[in-house]
Amino acid sequence: MRSLGAALFALVLLAALAAPVLAPNDPGQTFRAYLYAPPMRPRLVTADGRWQRPFVHPLRLVSRLEQRYEEDVSQAVPLTFFSRGKLARLADESRGPWLPLGADREGRDLLARLLFGARTSLGVATLATLAALLLGVLAGGVAGYRGGIVDEGIMRVAEFVLVLPAVYVVLALRAALPLVLPSWAVFSLMAAIFALVGWPWVARAVRAVVAVERTREYAAAAVSLGAGHARVLFGHLLPACRGQIGAQAILLLPSFILAEATLSYVGLGFPDTVPSWGSMLHEASNVNAMADFPWTLAPAAAIFAVTLAANLLVEKPDRAAW
Amino acid sequence: MTASRLVYQPFPVVGALILIALVSLSGGCRKEAPPPENTAPVKALVSSLRAEPRTFNRYAGRDSVLEIFTLLTQARLVRIDRRTQALEPWLAESWTSSEDGLTYTLKLRPGVTFSDGTPFTSADVLFAFRAVYDEKTGSALGESMRVGGKPLAVSAPDTSTVVVRFPSAFGPGLRLLDNLAILPRHKLEAALNGGTLGKAWDLATPPAEIVGLGPFVLKAYQPGQRLVFERNPRYWRTDGRGHRLPVLDRLTLEIVPDQNAELLGLQTGQTDFTQSEVRPEDYATLKRAADAGKLSLLDLGVGLDADSFWLNLRPNRPAVAKRPWLLRAELRRAISHAVDRRAFAETVFLGAAVPVHGPVTPGNTRWYSADLPRLEYDVPAARRLLAGIGLTDRDGDGVLEDRAGATAGFTILTQKGNTALERGAAFLAEDLKKVGLAVDVAPLDVGAVIDRIERGDYDAVYFRFLTTDLDPALNIDLWVSSGSAHVWNPGQSKPATEWEREIDRLMGRQVAALDQAQRKALFDQVQTIVAEQLPMIQFAAPRIYLATSVRVVNATPALLRPAILWNPDTLGVR
Repeated sequence: MRSLGAALFALVLLAALAAPVLAPNDPGQTFRAYLYAPPMRPRLVTADGRWQRPFVHPLRLVSRLEQRYEEDVSQAVPLTFFSRGKLARLADESRGPWLPLGADREGRDLLARLLFGARTSLGVATLATLAALLLGVLAGGVAGYRGGIVDEGIMRVAEFVLVLPAVYVVLALRAALPLVLPSWAVFSLMAAIFALVGWPWVARAVRAVVAVERTREYAAAAVSLGAGHARVLFGHLLPACRGQIGAQAILLLPSFILAEATLSYVGLGFPDTVPSWGSMLHEASNVNAMADFPWTLAPAAAIFAVTLAANLLVEKPDRAAW
Repeated sequence: MTASRLVYQPFPVVGALILIALVSLSGGCRKEAPPPENTAPVKALVSSLRAEPRTFNRYAGRDSVLEIFTLLTQARLVRIDRRTQALEPWLAESWTSSEDGLTYTLKLRPGVTFSDGTPFTSADVLFAFRAVYDEKTGSALGESMRVGGKPLAVSAPDTSTVVVRFPSAFGPGLRLLDNLAILPRHKLEAALNGGTLGKAWDLATPPAEIVGLGPFVLKAYQPGQRLVFERNPRYWRTDGRGHRLPVLDRLTLEIVPDQNAELLGLQTGQTDFTQSEVRPEDYATLKRAADAGKLSLLDLGVGLDADSFWLNLRPNRPAVAKRPWLLRAELRRAISHAVDRRAFAETVFLGAAVPVHGPVTPGNTRWYSADLPRLEYDVPAARRLLAGIGLTDRDGDGVLEDRAGATAGFTILTQKGNTALERGAAFLAEDLKKVGLAVDVAPLDVGAVIDRIERGDYDAVYFRFLTTDLDPALNIDLWVSSGSAHVWNPGQSKPATEWEREIDRLMGRQVAALDQAQRKALFDQVQTIVAEQLPMIQFAAPRIYLATSVRVVNATPALLRPAILWNPDTLGVR
């Protein structure tokens, strides 16, 4: 199962990295005639049963207000591959856009937004995870190694952060900042906030291991041989925490992806112009989305895939043998 | 009624004696007995409300929930039929006016009593005027019940006659009184005399204390859940066949803050109608339900309110010192040219809208003018206008810069969660980007948007104000420069621009004119100035659809809100 999780995770990462090649359209481009357009599936068989190179039927608007589209089966627009830097695109783009996953409420390509959104969401989550690990390892390592009042102080601070209502902290921080922030500022701010909220979990795990390890003979031997505090901590004790740190990283990453989704969903995250899984879900937050435009919920599936991959990765390798 | 007769039939003599006794008793008492209860099936409907009430006192508050509450439980001297816009007798059954049109003598309807049985007299009307003009109460109604800033003079020669004298000529005449609910003097006079009327009838008041002349009485208020109303057995109106109104025995208003949940309630049959119109993206779902016979979908035509875009034209704010071009009419005209209104209607409202070029939409048939100057979609013209005020692309990056080299852009505030507004703001940002303006959109909670508008802390806003009356003289605050609803630069001590001075002058004449054709001509001139100066820019007016359950009968939906509950007494159930 761990290999399945790793494969799933690698697939998502690969898709995010290759977004400019995989996405047939620009994620910010709006096709105003295609609001809430359904997915346009590539086909191989024409309406009269003939096999043909991959093609799509263009969409025809039946009712704008009822958002009803029909595939124009009398027309087949062939797909062309590895052309103009795209994996696949329509050979004749004058006959309308190709929207493999459909369009959102502003007529933007959902696949493009999903792929570019993966970069944003995974990017924030990865940066925040690294920062939380750095802070948590340092704080937990020092607390576990020094013990006494230092340990007490750091752990009380960690517990204080843990009991803070994170959403309200973010709300307060956001209210103090300018109304419109550039994307990089939102990205950095969000990563910093997640790191600040996430480091105590890492610190507690690392502190527990270091506090035990520092009483072992090998640590005492290193001290007696004249090793300094930093060398003992970083060279001998923290390497013993590798398993814990890895597990924390794998747990934090999906939780930060969910946090980004939550903040963007409530309008505190990325603006609508920046594709992220959370901002996409925010747009899909209509009671009828599930019934009428289920394709707008694609980012929920992506978040599920990443969370599943992370959970599979931390599964015990020998679980199947039980 | 059949059931009532069956109950009394075995005891006709005793029944008659009791009846005689009751009649003789009531002769010595001010309060009338309510009509006998009947045992017919309870006729009940459920609607939804998007917000909690904040008070039950119409003289102390001013919001849409209180307006609905007041329509259900209170009555006015005259009423505007919201479908025909005709003024109709209500508590006043007739009136005459003096030659100069300044004095109106109103004859009150005889035999009307409050829901607790206390008779309604001219003293209640005098009390109502005293209450809204009372400075300690600080009633929001007080402002709207003045003409030229002066209160109306009211007197009562006898218990059934009221004389209202306007301080100066006023074109809408008695339509002004449609605002004034007559609350019971015998319940509230002590509070008015004690200077505490503003706090009377708060949410802790027992429902039995809240009496009125409206079709319903409040039976229960469960905070966060619902308001339950029951029919007022002493309500004075009858239908065309002499049946006492209201038709319904009970009306429940469920408090549902979220529009998605409100829609679900309607789809699942938990509510019979809502206070919100159908959002364009919900139309398909509701149309399917209507086609399946589960709901009724009503098309009310083009709405009264077009979403409006405006720039903050307060001249003394810091942003204007750095970007003086924000005040230029050329910028506003360029914005109007830059937006494709037809595509706007198609995209933002999914085609259920018509392009408009002014704040008065074709839905307001009385005051709409089709002959206003129009700035049609013309991107080159927009670019020329922007270049004329020094906004050009100086570094070739596709974005305009001003003469100081700063990026030509601004932020548009809009209401978060309102999909039409969010989509409209995104559309504007995209079209303005095409002419080189760097526009950001900041969706905020409705309270935060209103707060920033009131403080003047914004560059631009895209928002929807709800029309409260079709007659411009009754929305005078929007038009005149001193008005609090003159949103782009409110409360001016003297007009900041010549065109605002001219609007002030024209509106002064429009309000005072008694000839309706003259009033229309004057208002057309005002609309022409607004279309040229564009202090607010409108792009499309949505069509209004309402959905009700098939149980609802005799609904008389109107474009003015509340669309159904403006006329609650004839509302019935299948």
